[in-house]
Amino acid sequence: MAEILVVDDSRVMREMVVACLRAEQHGFAHAASGLEAIETLSLRPFDLVVLDLNMPDIGGLEVIEFIRGQDRLRSLPILVVTTRGDEESRARTLAAGASEFMTKPFTPDAILASVRALLQDGVAGAG
Amino acid sequence: MTGALDVNEFVAGYLVEVEEHLSASTANLLAVEAALRAGESSPRPIRELFRALHTIKGLSAMVGVEPIVDLAHGMETVLRAADRAAGSLSGSSIEVLLRGLRSIEERARALAEGKPVLPAAPELLAALTALDLAAAPSPPVPTIGADPEILAKLGPGERVQLAQGVAGGRRALRVDFTPSPARTAEGVNITTVRERVGKLAEIVKVVPLSVPASDGAPGGIVFALLVLTSAPDEEVARAAAADGVRALTVEPAVPPAVAALAEREPDEPVDREPQLRGVVRVEVARLDDALDKLSALVVTRFRLARAAAELRARGVDTRDLSEILREHDRTLRDLRGAIMRARMISVKELLERVPLVVRGLGRATGKQVRLEIDAGKAELDKAVAERVFPAIVHLLRNAVDHAIEPPAERRRLGKPEEGVVRVSCFERSSNQLELSVADDGRGIDRALVARRAGRPAPESDAALLDLITLPGLSTLDQATKTSGRGLGMDIVRRIAVEQLSGELAVSTSPGAGTTFTLRIPLTLTIVDAFSFLCGDQLFVTPVAGVEEVVEIDAARIIRGPAPGEARGGSMLPAAGEARGGSMLPAAGEARGGTMLPAAGEARGGTMLPAAGEARGGTMLIERRGEVVPLVDLGALFETGASPARRALVVRRHGAPFAFGVTRVIGQQEVVVRPLEDPLVRVPGVSGSTDLGDGRPTLVLDLVTLSGRLSAGRGGRGALVWVAS
Repeated sequence: MAEILVVDDSRVMREMVVACLRAEQHGFAHAASGLEAIETLSLRPFDLVVLDLNMPDIGGLEVIEFIRGQDRLRSLPILVVTTRGDEESRARTLAAGASEFMTKPFTPDAILASVRALLQDGVAGAG
Repeated sequence: MTGALDVNEFVAGYLVEVEEHLSASTANLLAVEAALRAGESSPRPIRELFRALHTIKGLSAMVGVEPIVDLAHGMETVLRAADRAAGSLSGSSIEVLLRGLRSIEERARALAEGKPVLPAAPELLAALTALDLAAAPSPPVPTIGADPEILAKLGPGERVQLAQGVAGGRRALRVDFTPSPARTAEGVNITTVRERVGKLAEIVKVVPLSVPASDGAPGGIVFALLVLTSAPDEEVARAAAADGVRALTVEPAVPPAVAALAEREPDEPVDREPQLRGVVRVEVARLDDALDKLSALVVTRFRLARAAAELRARGVDTRDLSEILREHDRTLRDLRGAIMRARMISVKELLERVPLVVRGLGRATGKQVRLEIDAGKAELDKAVAERVFPAIVHLLRNAVDHAIEPPAERRRLGKPEEGVVRVSCFERSSNQLELSVADDGRGIDRALVARRAGRPAPESDAALLDLITLPGLSTLDQATKTSGRGLGMDIVRRIAVEQLSGELAVSTSPGAGTTFTLRIPLTLTIVDAFSFLCGDQLFVTPVAGVEEVVEIDAARIIRGPAPGEARGGSMLPAAGEARGGSMLPAAGEARGGTMLPAAGEARGGTMLPAAGEARGGTMLIERRGEVVPLVDLGALFETGASPARRALVVRRHGAPFAFGVTRVIGQQEVVVRPLEDPLVRVPGVSGSTDLGDGRPTLVLDLVTLSGRLSAGRGGRGALVWVAS
């Protein structure tokens, strides 16, 4: 069982992510903004972050850069789930330090497989 | 493997989120348009528009609503370019983007109603693609004095936003918040800090900074909030739980014209980021269900109280039971409060759509209209909000279409070309909301209205209102494109008075403008009510409508002049002025055993003559120097011979009116059930309730009843005691 932080400003989207991963018996925490995500991550440990890119205040890219700039969080797996499916966004996101990049709409199987793989690896893919 | 995600599970939540984003986007787009007219760029609203459309796109893709994905994508592309241009958008873009928002809204509504969702219109998608963003000039990007780490995070839009704020007279500050487990435990976190700071300042950007872990920042982070404010430094620091603030220097790279215009809008709405933490959205149907269950509990409580009273009457010791009942009462009242609060929406939310309505009307009529909204902080039941909104739209239409003069005419009259429509709202009491729509237009032409209605010219605003709310009356020679069917004030009155048991008033001044005022209850279904006896018949009436309960001193009843000759401001027209229709249903029309008399068939000992026959005139009581008309409800409803000993005083159009009753039983909350059968839906009776004995009790709307009696609408029965 892992602790997963789901970050998305859309409540429905967070619920969808959790619904897809429900079968795995993980613990879930929610953050409705990039700021909330950074604050939460600074105060307690997580095994994985599922992160949206497009959010108020600071976007997902800034969150990733911040996480990768922190010694304690440098190897935290980050799965980016975003509507921006273009190659440029994918390249920029992975370059910033995301472990994996997935576009919306995603299927439950796809996100489940990614989460399993990232938790097994236990390390960030990039950054 | 989990198989497919059941999106049906999320459709309701999806629709709620889309509606919220559309509503905020419309407001933001109108803000962009206003800024564009003033020569300003709009970095913040455009950023938020972009974000909203992007979120709609992602959500719609998950739910599989491809037409909305297409539309949102087209709009998002336009807005991304505008965002990169530091918040510049060409004027031609606004209309196309508004069409885009409407198209998304139509498709979301179709989805909600289970109808097919039409594909996005190719011409609209083409129009979005064709928008010439290059035409929008990018403002020069100002220089900000701050730490390099912070500067690296500031986009051109945020720099322009800071510069515009400073040019408008506010200070640019940095205030740091350091999160910690202890603060989190106290409920102080970045979200609550944002909320608190957001009340004092416009938050332009929040930058997370890495710092060495310490007692103050065990997590090794600090949030730097860059804000624009006019509030004292100490207050901003206190809101951020910080020791102090730091000033940001902003180089004046903003063109003077922009700076001057920025000063004209000091009330630029502060950070509009919706604060949704801890908020659960619930479908209205679920709240209705909860209310129904609560209603059943309220009725059961009456039955319990009645059973306990019967036991007591038989000599049983019911002290323990009474204590349980009191506790039950308290819990039920708390539960009622909780459910009713959950049903409330802010008036601000209700009025969010108003700017779009006025914009459309202004464009359709070629008039320049400035809209001012003062929504206050009042809240009202969602069901009431939905019913009253069409009335607000009618009043806005009338204001723009009929009242505000065309620019040339205003110029000739020495008025500014731009007309003003002001929508304001405040909570009059814990039960009533006052909402007014005022314009600075030409005022209502009393003589013209009277001519059209075939009546004498009204002398008072109240009499004028009676005329303009006649069904079908129009003061325009031709139906216009916007109003279509003339004034339609009968609809406004029907909504405000008959559907919501509220009140409608008008005040108008030639050449200076007109104000329509709606007074409506905040909630409809469960209300605090007085229960009272008229003879041996029990009635209830909402406490909110009753100004005072007074003793009637029979010796001090004054016999007034014949109707039509009343003094002291309590002018009562003659019964002959009654316009069609019977105020009360004929005997036997009321369901549930509460029989109402046929007009003029009153029995019993308090038989009162019709107005004008009342032994020389009407009956009045005196209250603190004020002459108040009095009608005996028992006589009106033929409910027995007991004389009226007390009176419930109501006020309509500022004029008091007293209803005599035999005995006031008490005050309690009741569940009002609408009278759905059209045969028993009559003015003055707003519904029925069950006081626990299983029999319906009529809920009287005494304010409306007073209006009908004053107007002599009751025919012979009106009667009656117009003991006034």
